Amino acid sequence: MLKCTINGVELEVKEGTSIIQAMFDNHQKIAHYCWHPGLSIAGVCRLCMVEIEGNPRLQIACNTVVTEGMNINNTSSKVQEAVKWGLDFHLINHPLDCPICDQAGECGLQDQYMEFGQYTSEMAEPKQKKRKVVDLGPTIVLDSERCILCSRCVRFTDEVSKTNELGIFNRGDHAEIGTHDGKKLDNRYSLNTVDICPVGALTSKDFRFKQRAWYLKDSDTICNGCSTGCNVKVYFNKEGLFRVKPRFNAEVNGHWMCDDGRNTYKFVNKEARLEKSQEYKNGAWNVTGAAGAVTKSFSKLLASAQPEEIGLVLTGQLTNEEYESILNTFTNTLKTKNIYHWKSPETEKNNFDGLLIRADKNPNTNGLLAAFKKHGISSTWTDLEAKLNSKQIKNLVVIGPENIAVYKDIETQVNLFTKASNLMYFTSAQVAALKASQNIQSVTLIPLKTFIEKSGSFTNHAGKVQAFKKVTTIVSDALNVNEVAQLLAGQEIKLQFVPTENLFIAENLRPDQVRLELRKKNEFFFNKG
Amino acid sequence: MSVNYKTVVQKPADKQWYLLGIATGLAITMKHLLKNLFNKKDMITLNYPEQKYDYSNRFKGNHILTVKKDGAIRCTACMLCATNCPADCITITASEHPSAEVEKYPISYEIDMLRCVFCGYCEEACPVDAIRLGPEWQTPGLNGAEFNYDIKHLAYRASLKGGVQSVVDDKERSKSGI
Amino acid sequence: METKYLTEFYHLPEFKNLDGYRKNGGYIQLTKALLMQPQAIIDEVKASGLRGRGGAGFSTGMKWGFLPKNNEPRYLLCNADEGEPGTFKDRMMMEKAPHQLIEGMIISAFAIGSKKSYIYVRGEYEESITTLLTAIQEAYKAGLLGKNILGSGFDHDMDVYRGAGAYICGEETGMISSLEGLKGQPKLKPPFPAVQGFLKKPTIVNNVETLAAVKYILRDGAQGYRKYGTEKSAGTKLFSLSGNVNKPGNYEVPLAYPLKDMINILGGGIKNGKKLKAVIPGGSSAPVMTAEEVERATLDYECLAQMGTMLGSGAIIVIDDSKCMVECLANLTHFYRHESCGQCTPCREGTGWLEKIVHSILSGNGRMEDIDLLIKVADNMKGKTICALSDAAALPVLSFVTKFRDEFEYFVQHGKSKVKGTAYKTPNYIADKGHAHA
Repeated sequence: MLKCTINGVELEVKEGTSIIQAMFDNHQKIAHYCWHPGLSIAGVCRLCMVEIEGNPRLQIACNTVVTEGMNINNTSSKVQEAVKWGLDFHLINHPLDCPICDQAGECGLQDQYMEFGQYTSEMAEPKQKKRKVVDLGPTIVLDSERCILCSRCVRFTDEVSKTNELGIFNRGDHAEIGTHDGKKLDNRYSLNTVDICPVGALTSKDFRFKQRAWYLKDSDTICNGCSTGCNVKVYFNKEGLFRVKPRFNAEVNGHWMCDDGRNTYKFVNKEARLEKSQEYKNGAWNVTGAAGAVTKSFSKLLASAQPEEIGLVLTGQLTNEEYESILNTFTNTLKTKNIYHWKSPETEKNNFDGLLIRADKNPNTNGLLAAFKKHGISSTWTDLEAKLNSKQIKNLVVIGPENIAVYKDIETQVNLFTKASNLMYFTSAQVAALKASQNIQSVTLIPLKTFIEKSGSFTNHAGKVQAFKKVTTIVSDALNVNEVAQLLAGQEIKLQFVPTENLFIAENLRPDQVRLELRKKNEFFFNKG
Repeated sequence: MSVNYKTVVQKPADKQWYLLGIATGLAITMKHLLKNLFNKKDMITLNYPEQKYDYSNRFKGNHILTVKKDGAIRCTACMLCATNCPADCITITASEHPSAEVEKYPISYEIDMLRCVFCGYCEEACPVDAIRLGPEWQTPGLNGAEFNYDIKHLAYRASLKGGVQSVVDDKERSKSGI
Repeated sequence: METKYLTEFYHLPEFKNLDGYRKNGGYIQLTKALLMQPQAIIDEVKASGLRGRGGAGFSTGMKWGFLPKNNEPRYLLCNADEGEPGTFKDRMMMEKAPHQLIEGMIISAFAIGSKKSYIYVRGEYEESITTLLTAIQEAYKAGLLGKNILGSGFDHDMDVYRGAGAYICGEETGMISSLEGLKGQPKLKPPFPAVQGFLKKPTIVNNVETLAAVKYILRDGAQGYRKYGTEKSAGTKLFSLSGNVNKPGNYEVPLAYPLKDMINILGGGIKNGKKLKAVIPGGSSAPVMTAEEVERATLDYECLAQMGTMLGSGAIIVIDDSKCMVECLANLTHFYRHESCGQCTPCREGTGWLEKIVHSILSGNGRMEDIDLLIKVADNMKGKTICALSDAAALPVLSFVTKFRDEFEYFVQHGKSKVKGTAYKTPNYIADKGHAHA
């Protein structure tokens, strides 16, 4: 450990720590663009200037290692003047695109300007023109004018994704980021470049122009896209979720996440969700009552049935707490051992791409297996098939997957489930396969909550248990599996009605259109008035 | 410190005389009646709707979305007006424009006039002179839906005669680097 | 008078060939050196006070001393990417005496224990490259290069690498990047090349003239070399004299030679009988000197540093009184904008900004505050970047504007040159953007 003084505060840092890292770890403010803790040092933005006692020249904090007794200062007027000019050099050719730039509101240039700049530019000459709206690949759009050539994205493709698509072309003030001839920025981690871009030069096609950054709230959660369990931040507002970004966790995902994980918000949004419980009776689908009441009514049915006639199907997409309560209900209250693990086709393959992506697309397979072990369940899928075919299981409770897209075998399996004379299918997603199924007898669909709407924990591939908290409510009527377990066990519980934040948004309508519809309905009022 | 106060005793009703007050009031009314009868020019009240009051050009009435030289909508869908709006009455849906020069533009821009308080903050927030509060002040409608002004009404309603041109030109913007 | 020390036999055409070179004392020092202890050569060079002739003037012996003392492979690179405007001494040395350089390099390589060296030659120097290649082939045939040189057991290979025309590749780490096959951009220091350079191995980069001088230090000993020059600036140096003088060319003089003699005696005075106005003493990156300063100046590292300028690569550019300083500066700012590698922000944006300001003054749209702005911008580019190109761009601006402020003010006020009395006409190299920024 070395002792040093930064801005008058005495610190102890590990040997080999750069000044900027030391300042970061101790929550000291320092302007920077090109430095990123997950990438190599470029030292090109020249903003992280610090004054070191005994050195007449200002040094960059990112490439200077702390030595014993170093006295570092970045609040002196000399440093502040240097940072101000450093910012001005960044901004003289930066277009005033802020009103139409997606990065506005979370932009490094805006932040640093408010923090360290606050001056009037003296540049009177025309700005340098470069390419705008360049299609870099299937996920990303580039705006060269906005780029400050910090080279973070270039270093990302060189060092992290190791795909080497990006490079800086030309020299001087006409230098530009670009891809090599005929190549596209197309890899499974490409959107990380958008996250690390300190300005709005790289924008995500998926998120582009959907929302302004200041309309979004963010909340921490765990990605449920695969068994890696990346720590993520989801951005949402009353209209739903809009994007997912990685959150630093050195033990799990570092600074990064994959592009597939960024799509997980899509199956959480209202468009993809089952919102009301539905029932198939007399050859037609009907909306039934509240999900809680419908579930409750089944508890009597299950209580009166023989334990052998009851079956339960689970996937690896629920939380550890939910597994515990639902298994508790079925093994202890209903006394059945007919509990089965519905695996997605790739669950058991242990493919890993070396960085983050794993073949098992269920976030909590390990949690489910642990819960099965605890409750002594060792049934196989062929068991279920046999018991359904022989009509031994009459009442089947299926808790379906949230991320339905990875269950490619859903059609076959649903056709299997419908062999039960009484199927209770709990799902957060709309199950088109079930609706299309030919030989259905009595099916009830009950809406479930997704991982965004509940608190709990996932056990990832390495056995690391990661807890997460509820983010928001998207479907008010949906239940979580804890509630399902209690209701099926016949317990009296009080379900709290949680209004969604977007009550006024009817399906597939923009808020303004909904407002229009509501107005039309209230026509009489206005006519009278 | 002592407080000086006086007890006011109201006279009983039969002891009060309002005659003088009534006469004064009547005299003022008659004075204006006669004045208006013989000097119609100075009359303050108008025969609305036959007669209409001429407000100053600075009057903040109905919103106008300005257009560019080619008649396309000036608005860049930056949503600063919607952000600044205290009544939360502006709803914009942005989209990618086929031309890289424009980049972002609104595919829907709606103002709920029943919520609008005509504060003019949207006008102040706009970086490209895309929204203005015009002098129009008559906003009749038969039902609620008619008060939800869409892009077509805001920019191209008949009274605007093909649209009001914005002072900010795209070419000039591009030249000066904004 | 010229002191022909390194350039003694340059007038002989056969000096180019191995035979001619050997006839005139060539490769004798190499034979001698290979029998010495490498450390003894380094000590001798250190004692001679030889300083880098490429521009920075850093002690060569000291630089060699920074190499780690282990058996790691190391490289010797010869910097022949002579890009500094006004400099053409290395070209002459390579074309007239390639073996002088090769001998110096083998001795230096032996001293630092390098088995491989490269000569990075400026791409435009077609003749230098062919001469060097022929000379290297001759040396290989004669057993002066390759395995077991002259039976000493020392192996050394030499190669010529042709640059692609970037000024920045003359900077030592920029050159290393270019040699590695990367974009020619300077690297962050630390680590310094002596610790981690070419292919992440210890590397020494020296100028052509520096390496050639090593042979003479061994011949005459450190004290013999110190006969020329001063205590701190020892030896002779080649100066490239250009501009408005009667006899431009390369002149070898001992260091501390008076600058006015260089112009008036060796250079034959100012062309067309005009008066001296200014001199850029060390290549375009050096701050300009006024005529009065020239009177006092001697050509050595200390005197010029004291006068706020530098010896640099020894390119003396003479400007007479018929030249407009604003136009001269426009030329320089254009060069630096074109040559900035674009890595560090202050340089990338600053060089462009400087050019734009100077051009707005030239085009008659200048504002009085632009003159101070030039100083402010240049001031803030100084010492803020990875390499010295930013300083090189800023220093001329600072010196031009402070020393010839009246000409800038006149241009802003009247829209025309004070000296020429005419408005500015954009030269083709700037008007034709396609060429300038290709």
